[in-house]
Amino acid sequence: MLAPKRQSGWVYTAALSWRAVVHRFSYALFLSLSLGLLVFGHARPVVMQNARSQIIDTIAPALDVVARPLALVETVTARVQSYRSLLDENARLRTENAGLVRWQNAALALEDENKELRGLLHYKAEPALAFVTARVIADTGGAFVRSLIVTAGRQDGVREGMAAMTGDALVGRVIEAGEWTSRILLITDMNSRLPVVLMGTGDHAILAGDNTGKPHLLYLSQEADVKVGARVMTSGHGGIFPPNVPVGIVSRFEHGEFEVTPLASMGRINQVRLIDFNLTGGAFNPIAAKMQAASFAP
Amino acid sequence: MSFSFLQKSGQLIRHALPFGITMVFIGVSVLVLPVPYLGGIAPMLGLVAVYYWAIYRPDLLRPFFVFLLGLLNDFLHLLPIGLSALLFLALYQLVLSQRRLFIGQAFPLVWIGFVVVALIASLTQWGVMSLGGGQGLSLQPVFLQFLLTVFLFPLPVWLLILLQRAFLTQE
Repeated sequence: MLAPKRQSGWVYTAALSWRAVVHRFSYALFLSLSLGLLVFGHARPVVMQNARSQIIDTIAPALDVVARPLALVETVTARVQSYRSLLDENARLRTENAGLVRWQNAALALEDENKELRGLLHYKAEPALAFVTARVIADTGGAFVRSLIVTAGRQDGVREGMAAMTGDALVGRVIEAGEWTSRILLITDMNSRLPVVLMGTGDHAILAGDNTGKPHLLYLSQEADVKVGARVMTSGHGGIFPPNVPVGIVSRFEHGEFEVTPLASMGRINQVRLIDFNLTGGAFNPIAAKMQAASFAP
Repeated sequence: MSFSFLQKSGQLIRHALPFGITMVFIGVSVLVLPVPYLGGIAPMLGLVAVYYWAIYRPDLLRPFFVFLLGLLNDFLHLLPIGLSALLFLALYQLVLSQRRLFIGQAFPLVWIGFVVVALIASLTQWGVMSLGGGQGLSLQPVFLQFLLTVFLFPLPVWLLILLQRAFLTQE
């Protein structure tokens, strides 16, 4: 009786220590592999970007399945909220409508004048812009990156650099276009730098994201006369976006910087319009470029 | 024979539960949740699940699977590929080495353990991202994400406990 017991005890101990060795070996292996991938991704960001696009394309249908009911919940919640504030909303809209009718008359008069002047100058009208409407299926709401994954890719005519807008406000631009999905870098991301102009004063600045909901203005000139409430539009510099695309409103001055509140509700974006302005500067990917630069730095 | 096959298949599915549910958690953390006032910040649900399984069923979440989950997290969150994998593996091993402290203990102690793990994860990520970006990043969103994850911790853990009790107790 004793001999087999001793043998089974020995086998059991050996098996346990073997499992511990395997565990330690696999742990060290995958830890090294992770470190290797981190270094490789730093040196070859384009390879990783392609791999990422392919993987997102593959798992997008699963994300889409789960995102749909959530979008429905969002719609129902918004509808219930709008019912609750129906009376106030109605009064506000009536006042707004009266103002808009005045603007409409002015716009019609200006349109006629514009047509006349274009006729006189033989002005060649710009072709209509191509756009794709896409649904947001993922929001990488991390502390380090502000981006969205949308259900439109190269097959739908999306390419890197296209502008992403909700309503008439800019929210970001396409930085990765897969076959069926694309990734949009939001203007609130820390890698986003957008040349802008302030309406009214014409001051130029760079709108820089910092991963908070409120990007700030950089490189304002000493003489700049910035006022809280000023509208911020794209300046068209850099060839990324055309001029006069609405972006946000200067909301406050703090710690020596002007904060800008985006016109779009950045936390609740469900649909975006991806617009091709036919500009070449937008194909630049700031994240990949930054990693590439860091990997070649001495 | 068919009964044995079904039994084995059932066991296989049950054993894949920790990996599967952690994958779902990572997926949910990138969905556009209809929760107002979060300002685009999402909790680190993948980290919660890895922490939980490292304490209660590390035999069902081996380093290989932790590595895969980390990669998925990196791909979805646009993080440098390998960063979450490295972090998940390191924290998994840390928790594994201290799991005797947590097994059979009251929930607040497990929660405090997670506060430490989440703090290490947040600060390490912040350090690596700042280093990679060549500038010190704002700590505000990192701190918000840390607080949100720690504050919400009981909710995903409650779900994990329910799943473990329903599918993994008879072994």
